[in-house]
Amino acid sequence: MAWRSSSDGTPLSNAERSHWSERRWLRALRGARGRPLGVGLLVVLLLLLLAPEGWVSLLRPLRLAVFDAYQHQAPRARRSAPALIVAIDDASLRHLGQWPWPRTWLATLVDRVAEGRPAAIALDILMPEPDRLSPGRLPGLITGLAPDAVAGLQRLPSNDAVLAHAIRSHQVVVPMAGLDGEGLGAGGRRAPVRAFGADPLPFLRRFDAALRNLDEIDGAGGGHGLLSVDIERGVVRRVPLMAAVGPSLVPTLAIETLRVAAGVPAFAVRASARGVESVGVGDLVVPTEADGSVWIHYSPHDPSRFVSAADVLAGRVAPHLFERKLVLIGVTAVGLSDHQATPVADRMPGVEIHAQLLEDIFDGSLLSRPRWVGLVEGGLLAAGGLLLILAVPHLSARRSAGLLVALIVVLIALGSLLYLKVGILLDGAAPALSLSVLYTAMLVVTLAEGESQRRALRLEIARQREAAARLAGELEAARRIQLGSLPRAADVFANETRFDLYAFLDPAREVGGDLYDFFPLDADRLFFLIGDVSGKGLPGSLFMTMSKALCKGAALRQDGRVARVLGEAHTELSRDNAEGLFVTVLAGTLNVSTGELEYCNAGHETPYLLPRRERSLRRLDGGGPPLCAVDDFAYAATSLRLAPGDTLCLVTDGVTEAMSASGELYGRSRLASVLSRLGDAVSASHVGEAVRSDVESFAAGAERADDVAILVLRWIGPGATGR
Amino acid sequence: MDLAHTRIAGTTVLSPAGRIDHATAEAFKAALAPHVARCAAGQDRLVLDFGAVEYISSAGLRVLMLAAKQAKVQGGILAVAALQPIVREIFEISRFTLVLNVFATLDEALAA
Repeated sequence: MAWRSSSDGTPLSNAERSHWSERRWLRALRGARGRPLGVGLLVVLLLLLLAPEGWVSLLRPLRLAVFDAYQHQAPRARRSAPALIVAIDDASLRHLGQWPWPRTWLATLVDRVAEGRPAAIALDILMPEPDRLSPGRLPGLITGLAPDAVAGLQRLPSNDAVLAHAIRSHQVVVPMAGLDGEGLGAGGRRAPVRAFGADPLPFLRRFDAALRNLDEIDGAGGGHGLLSVDIERGVVRRVPLMAAVGPSLVPTLAIETLRVAAGVPAFAVRASARGVESVGVGDLVVPTEADGSVWIHYSPHDPSRFVSAADVLAGRVAPHLFERKLVLIGVTAVGLSDHQATPVADRMPGVEIHAQLLEDIFDGSLLSRPRWVGLVEGGLLAAGGLLLILAVPHLSARRSAGLLVALIVVLIALGSLLYLKVGILLDGAAPALSLSVLYTAMLVVTLAEGESQRRALRLEIARQREAAARLAGELEAARRIQLGSLPRAADVFANETRFDLYAFLDPAREVGGDLYDFFPLDADRLFFLIGDVSGKGLPGSLFMTMSKALCKGAALRQDGRVARVLGEAHTELSRDNAEGLFVTVLAGTLNVSTGELEYCNAGHETPYLLPRRERSLRRLDGGGPPLCAVDDFAYAATSLRLAPGDTLCLVTDGVTEAMSASGELYGRSRLASVLSRLGDAVSASHVGEAVRSDVESFAAGAERADDVAILVLRWIGPGATGR
Repeated sequence: MDLAHTRIAGTTVLSPAGRIDHATAEAFKAALAPHVARCAAGQDRLVLDFGAVEYISSAGLRVLMLAAKQAKVQGGILAVAALQPIVREIFEISRFTLVLNVFATLDEALAA
C-alpha cells in the first residue's frame, strides 16, 4: 500500500490525497514566491563552494579551468633570468649519439659549466642504477677483448665515480623522486630543516619513499632536491616547495639549488595550526599554501632559457654565460619525453618548470590563493544569491536575466583583476555557475507561481462572469416584472372612444425609477399619474414599485381626490424611507364625460396643455415639493375644464434633461417648441411618438443617463356612446 | 468633490462647482457631511453658494434634501444662494424652493 498514512495505518481515501501542487510542504517551499526554496538551494550551493578540497569536487575542475584560463590569456612576463638550462636536446643526441650517454660525458658537462662560475648547478637527471658503459663493465658488453685489455679497463675508475667526483667538486645538487606505496625508505642525505611554529609535517604533501641516485652519486651531491611536481587532472600547476618523504622534510630541487647557491646550511619552515605558511632560505621567505606548495605563475616557453649540451661540450658556449646563474642540466629531447602539460603549454620540459619556479621565486611573482579568497567567493555567492532571491520574483524575466549577467560580469571582472594586479587566484566562475543554477530555480518557481496565479485568475473571471450572467438574468426578470406592472392603454381601455392615451417608459438601465399609472375610478372618471424617483437602477425601481402601489391604493381610498391622494401617499412613503429617497409625482383625475380635470403636482415636471385653435401651448403650473422631501406638506389640487380634443403631455426629466453627445441639455424650451407644433395632432400616440423621436435623435450617440417616461392624454369628448 | 469654504460673519459659505449628478452626488454628500453636522442651533448658518453649479440632478437634490432635514432636526439654518438659470429652473419645477431656503444672491443670503 503506497498510500498509507503513518499515524493510524489506514489507507488514505482519494479525497485526502491532494494534487501535488496542493501539498503543504511544497506550498511552504514555494511560499513567499519561492524564497524558502531559493534560500535552501543557496545554502546547498554555499556548502558545495566552501567544501574543503577533496570532499566534494563538483566545482574543482571548473575552478582549475578558470585559473588556467587566467594564465593562458595573460601569462607572466619574464623579468629576470636567474636560471639557465643546459638541455640534452634533440640536437645534442643528433651530434653525440643516443641517450643514455656515458656519465663521464655528464661529468665533462658539469666541469664545462663550472668553468663559467655559476651560482649553483643542479642535475635534473635521476640515475638510480650504475652506468653500464663504465670501463669495468665493457668486457661484459664486448666479446673478444684481450685479457690484458680487460685488466686495463678494470683498473680504470667507473663512469659513476668520475661523475661523482665532478659533482662533489662543484657542489652539484642532485635529484630524487617521491614514490607512493613503496617501502624503500627515505635514507640518505638531505638538508636540515628548522621548523618554526607548529609542526609542518602533517600538512605537507606526503610521499612514502624516495627514489634516489646511486649511493655513490647521491653521496657526492652538494644538495638533494625533489623532482616531483603535483599533477592535477593532467596539468602541473603547483609544486610542493617542501614535502614529506616518510618522516623527513625534503625541499624541491629548485629551492634546494637556491639554498646551495646562497650557501645557507638549513631551511626555515614556518607553520601554524592551519598549515604551512612559508619556506625560508636565509633572507628569502617564500609564502606557501597550507600544504607547503606554491602556484607557479607561468610565462610562455622561451628558447632563451636553454643552451644545448652539445654546444657546451663542443666549447661553443661562452663560459661567462653561466656566471652567477642557477644552471639546471636536464633532458629535453622529444624522444626522451620528460614533458608535462602546463596552463600555458600542452608540453613543457620538466626542467623548464623548475626554471620557471626559480624565476617566480626571484621575482616574487608566484601566484597564491590565501584562505580568505575562498571566504570572499562564498561571501560573493551569498550576497549575489540573496539579491537574486529578493529581486527575481519582482522583476520581469528580461530584467532579472540582466541582473544575473551583471552579477556574473562583476564576479569574472573581480577574479581577472585580482589575478592581473596582485597574482591572487579568485575563482569567479564557481559562484557564477552557482548563481545561474539559483537563478534558474528562482525563475522556474516564479514562472510556475505566475502560471498558477493566472489559472486562479481565469477561474475567478469565469466565476465572476457566471455571477454577472446570473445577476443579469435576475435583472432581466426584474425588468419584465417592472415593465409588466405598468398598464397598457390598449388593454385597459379597449373600445374607449372618449379619450386616447399614450404611455411610454424606458429605464436607463435594466430597471428604473420612473413610473406612470392610469386606471378608471368609475365609469366616468380616469385616474392617471406620472412620477420620478430620485434614484435609478435597483434602489430606484424598488421605491418606484412601492410608490406606484401606494399611490394606487390611496387613489382608490380617496376616490381620486388628488391632493388627498398625494398627501396619503406622502405619509405612507415617508414612514419607511431609510434611504431618504423622494419621488416627484403628478397625479390627475379626469372626468371623461365632462372634461373636468383635477391635478396635483408634487415636484414633478410641469405638464403641458397642447395648443388648440386660438390658445397657445399652456403650462399647468402649481403644486408642492416631491413626496418625502418635506415633512407634513399640505398639497393642494388645481381644477381645470378641458375642451374636447385637448391634449395633455406629461414627461419626466429624462426628457427635459436628456443630453446630446456634445453635452447639451435637451431643455424645456425645446420640448415646448416640439409640442407647440403638435396642437392639431390626431392622436395621443402621434404626440408621444413625436416627442420621443425628437428626444432620441437629440440624444443620439450620448450615453443614456436617466430613465425616460412620457404620458399623453387626449380628451376626445363626451362620446357618442354616452357611457 | 472639492468644497471651497469661507466664513463670513457667522456664516459658513460653501462653494460647490460643476455638475452635481449621479456621478458626483456621493462625493458632494461626503464633502458636505462635516459642515452639515456642525449646522445646528447656536452655530454658524450654512449657505451653499451655487454660483458655479451648472446642473443638479435628482440625485443631487436628494443630497440637499437630506442635508436640509438634518439641519432642521439640529435646529440649524441651511440656505442655497445664487442659482444659475438652469439650476434655478430645476429648483422651481421640483419645488425645492419649498425644501430649502433659496436666495437670489449670496449677499441676500448673508443679509437674511
